[in-house]
Amino acid sequence: MERVVIIGGGGGGAILANLLPEEFKVTVVDKSEVHFFQPGNLWIAFKGVRKEKFLRPLRSLLKPRVEFVHDEVVSVDLNERVVKTASGKSLSYDYVVFASGAELDYGSVPGHRELLERFGDFYSTPENAEKLHASLRGLKEGRFVIGIADPVYKCPPGPHKAAFLSWEFFARRGLSDKVKVVLAVPVPHAYPSKTIADIIEPELNSRGIELHTFFTVNEVDVANKRIVSLEGEELSFDVAAVVPPHRGPSYAVNPAEVKDGSGYIKIDKYTSRVEGFDDAYAIGDCTNAPTSKSGVTAHLQAEVVAARLQGIDARYSGRTNCPLITDGKGLFVISDYDHPPIPVRLSKFKRLMEDFFVATYWSAVRSPELWSPIFRAYFEATDEFIRRGEGW
Amino acid sequence: MPEITVDARGMACPGPISALTRAYRNAQNGDLIIVLATDPGFEPDVKAWVERTKNELVELAKVDGNVIKAVIKVTAKK
Repeated sequence: MERVVIIGGGGGGAILANLLPEEFKVTVVDKSEVHFFQPGNLWIAFKGVRKEKFLRPLRSLLKPRVEFVHDEVVSVDLNERVVKTASGKSLSYDYVVFASGAELDYGSVPGHRELLERFGDFYSTPENAEKLHASLRGLKEGRFVIGIADPVYKCPPGPHKAAFLSWEFFARRGLSDKVKVVLAVPVPHAYPSKTIADIIEPELNSRGIELHTFFTVNEVDVANKRIVSLEGEELSFDVAAVVPPHRGPSYAVNPAEVKDGSGYIKIDKYTSRVEGFDDAYAIGDCTNAPTSKSGVTAHLQAEVVAARLQGIDARYSGRTNCPLITDGKGLFVISDYDHPPIPVRLSKFKRLMEDFFVATYWSAVRSPELWSPIFRAYFEATDEFIRRGEGW
Repeated sequence: MPEITVDARGMACPGPISALTRAYRNAQNGDLIIVLATDPGFEPDVKAWVERTKNELVELAKVDGNVIKAVIKVTAKK
């Protein structure tokens, strides 16, 4: 029986573990016993939803045949085929899969950690999202600034969702004339893709959300309530939340060359195979794959790796399907390695699809074999739009 | 003067400008950042970036067919 060690029990790691059949001895290692649905942070921060809705014991999401090791990985030796943990365990494997996500670096931007501790954020943990919700409830007038500290971050539409949902939060309290929502992005347009930016800029304008482009957060001065950008501008705030720089896994990997300059695991973008190794794969946000760091990427890469471990020549197309919602409508940013995002239309239906997906998330993780045919049908249908360059 | 070369060929918008931003974070005044890109949107983007950041665009040219080469002298870092 071949032994597969999966490092990380987030969406990608858990789905992969559950997809592998009984012929494999599967072990998932994670330093957390709790799996949380990361987009839920937005609902906690801006809608006051209880965090428990987005938390589940990781063990409860894994098939009974999957072994769960609650421990922190400290090193992976790809030559010796062993994963070592903080408690002293050595896990030998026939295949290893890195699925530990991106790590958030609140230490590299001066003042950022202090900002997080003061106001919380919508990005890191359910607890910090709760803190941001409390901060926003206390803001009766002034400026709520959403910033980004590096162009590479998880869930590209996350900050934009935060802008729309916070605007709705203040509007419902009758504060839209008193609280200004400000969105600052490091790229030239409202959204990394110009196609998508052209759709959402009018939506931002119509709500009076202040947009700043080419604004990469470089320093936060909490005492004087101002944010300075790498490009040389300043924004004042009363409450602020900044998406931190990301990096790859901090645990040691031998050989160290499999990590790039930001610590991400270097993979073949189609197969997820770690460069130079036939028995190592990496999926999700911990990789250097040139596509968005998002749940759908981790999910589709997990399906590819599950197939490849069973001898099937599966490949990931780079497909994305990132939901971007306003307060009432939604769209999906869909693209693949060979095609840029297509023109899409905001609609109430797509917002309902997002809500449906949130409702089905736990089932999709626990029983991916049941949901895969549904998702596959959806992707095949919408792939046609991408290939034709037409909107939907 | 030190040169930092950013190979952003094959990256779609806004990949090249994002790569430039990441290189700029680690650059110092006096450095030259050389960006190679194939995305046609890079040309207007880099012009706008230089105008916004007050750095100096030393060269912006097509090389090897469809490759856009931008040379930026870092002058505006505080």
